[in-house]
Amino acid sequence: MNDKPDAASDMSASGPSTSGLGWEEFSREVVDFFASIKLAMFLFIVLAMTATIGTVIQQGERPETYVQEYGEEAYRWFLRLGFTDVYHTWWFTSLLGLLCVNSLTCFHKRFPSVWRSMRQDKVSVSLAFIQGMKQQATLSINQPKETVAESLVRIFAEKGYKVLAKSDPGEVTVYATKGIMGRVGAHVAHLSATVIVLGGLLGSYYGFSEFGVCLEGQTYHIPRGNFDLHVDKFWIDYHENGSVKSYNSTLTVIDQGTPTMTKTITVNDPLVYKGIWFYQSSYGDAWDQIEAARINVKDKTSDKVVATVDLEWNKEKAVEGLPLKMKMTDFVADFAFNSTEKKVFSKTAEHANPAIRLAVDERSTVQSTPWVFYHYPDLFEIKDSAYQFEFIGYQPKKFTGLQIARNPGIMMVWIGCTMLVVGMTLSSLIYHRRLWAKILPGEAGVTLHLGGTTHKSQIDFQKEFRKLTEKIQTKTSS
Amino acid sequence: MMRSLFLFDMTFWLYLAALGLYVAYLFAKRPAMQMAPAGHPIGDLEDRDGAWATQLGQVATLVTVFGWVLNTMALMTRAFERMEHSGTFAPWSNQFEAMAYVSWAIILGYVLLEFRYRIKAVGAFVVGIGFIAMGAASLLPYRYQTAEPLVPALNSYWIYIHVSVTLTSYAAFAMAGGLGLMYLFKERAVNRGSQSRFYAAFPDLETIDELGYKAIMLGFPLLAFGIILGAMWANYAWGGYWSWDPKETWSLIVWLIYGAYIHARMTRGWEGHKAAIYAIFGFLMVIFCFWGVNFLLSGLHAYA
Repeated sequence: MNDKPDAASDMSASGPSTSGLGWEEFSREVVDFFASIKLAMFLFIVLAMTATIGTVIQQGERPETYVQEYGEEAYRWFLRLGFTDVYHTWWFTSLLGLLCVNSLTCFHKRFPSVWRSMRQDKVSVSLAFIQGMKQQATLSINQPKETVAESLVRIFAEKGYKVLAKSDPGEVTVYATKGIMGRVGAHVAHLSATVIVLGGLLGSYYGFSEFGVCLEGQTYHIPRGNFDLHVDKFWIDYHENGSVKSYNSTLTVIDQGTPTMTKTITVNDPLVYKGIWFYQSSYGDAWDQIEAARINVKDKTSDKVVATVDLEWNKEKAVEGLPLKMKMTDFVADFAFNSTEKKVFSKTAEHANPAIRLAVDERSTVQSTPWVFYHYPDLFEIKDSAYQFEFIGYQPKKFTGLQIARNPGIMMVWIGCTMLVVGMTLSSLIYHRRLWAKILPGEAGVTLHLGGTTHKSQIDFQKEFRKLTEKIQTKTSS
Repeated sequence: MMRSLFLFDMTFWLYLAALGLYVAYLFAKRPAMQMAPAGHPIGDLEDRDGAWATQLGQVATLVTVFGWVLNTMALMTRAFERMEHSGTFAPWSNQFEAMAYVSWAIILGYVLLEFRYRIKAVGAFVVGIGFIAMGAASLLPYRYQTAEPLVPALNSYWIYIHVSVTLTSYAAFAMAGGLGLMYLFKERAVNRGSQSRFYAAFPDLETIDELGYKAIMLGFPLLAFGIILGAMWANYAWGGYWSWDPKETWSLIVWLIYGAYIHARMTRGWEGHKAAIYAIFGFLMVIFCFWGVNFLLSGLHAYA
């Protein structure tokens, strides 16, 4: 772009190159290709286009869902192209990788010249170099060159330029520069792409994220952190109008057997311990446990309720006034029976067909373990028993759904994001400008050759250059 | 019950009036003159206005500023109402409020542009977009316009900064879109050699192009910042900083689209005509990201 002086010096530094398609030329071509703005534009557009796919087609659904919605043939293509999980396909990841290569190569190719002009600028340039610039002017001034140089330095400095002047026999060169941070910013933003992607990779390889259903009052072992988590309480706060204000779980971390930390987490306020984050993610009624159940005990002969018993989970209770002991041992929210394994299970997590299993002990003469149903009180009858049991109510046990995650790449991602925002802001608000002025002895007084370059905002710079030229003219003629 | 709704209504009518006045300003009679040559410094556009145009222009500016003040008051009143009802004060917590905030930001941007560059012709386009945003907001059903309490996921201090920064970037892109449209109008007039007085108040093509570029240069880092703030919020609320949720993805798509634009501007041939069309296209994508995603695609952001 407008880095001619540096490009010129690069060429001379590399020495005489071998003729034809030498390695140097080839590698330069490769660098040019990967550092090109065209490739950047291409990648931005292709990434933008392919990213839309995942917002139109539901991601990570079960095969039946796709077949139902798009048909079998389309689903086969989806699988081939990875449309059911677009953002993790090899080709999408490759595009991101290519973007990193693109920005890194750009940095490699263009940053050295920025760095050089930050450290040490070339003051001396040839007259031809100034005359070859996009913005340039030639003024004849009827004053000694020292006076002209002084006013130039003053005018440039007033405009916030960093000014360097060099006096050679017969000529004075003034160099002024401003806004190098704008270019540094662009390069910082370019580097940030790789930092963010690496942070993302680190997270996906060494991090984890899983979902846990935790019951109040229970302790769970967290193997990844080698500590235990006790769920003290879960509750919901409501607004006045009845809508939910917040979901809360009080959690206690138990490390090496001693409670080390207690925190109430809410949706926007997770607990963090040893790099593992616990998020309030969902909640609900447990499907395999309840707090308490209410049972009506009916006398079979009189068909009258003789006692109402409140049973606590897994605690045997003697019914007052009757030769009867009862215990609730199991609960399923949606009763189902697997006939091959002879096992009762809950079909769904919904409380569609709640049932409990009782352990009934009638004075040690009759012992049975019947299932009793909330919705179907008369379904089963216990032979030989004097009683009929009715499951008339229960208090569900709440579970809190915790998202448990660790992401070792997150710091890197945030560092990359900071670089991105800072870099983009610098590069948007500041643009790099360089001016050279050569004062040569003229016919009457001196001839001033003024030239300037910028890497963007050409129109703004054009205006600024014109104003500067006008100002130099008026200041030096008075 | 909602005093703010009355103020939002008034803002709507004032923006409509301002738009009408800016359009009238363009049509107003001007003394005969030539079009400014390309690259001519701006700043003397007002000198070209006739008596009618000058007066219309002044009234238009006045009405716009007054409308913006009412818009500000409406948002502040809404903030107080939110404090009473929902424990947050961010007056951009649902679709309606977000629209009202975007039009506030667009009009603020326009007023700053007018005071800095003294170009009133832009008003017919940019105030127009601000008015449409406000109008679309008031067309929403009443139940979307009230200050209902926030769902737990939104009830966080992140809403103050993530939403406002993102919406401000949308406003900048709206501005660029308006300027792109204006560029195409002017370009057509120039190509036809039109001497219509309608275009006399327009700045030259280069200036329109440069202003549009500047608006995007402002919106681009703001959107990046907004997306990153959203990622930080998600890291606290959803258990991960990025989950490819449709809104997230679409904001990234919009950012990529403008990323391509920013890089294209560095190469030759991407100023002017192409840039103007691209800015309009980009703005349409912003509209889809802002509205379309909420109504057409499901996802974690589908709150309103």
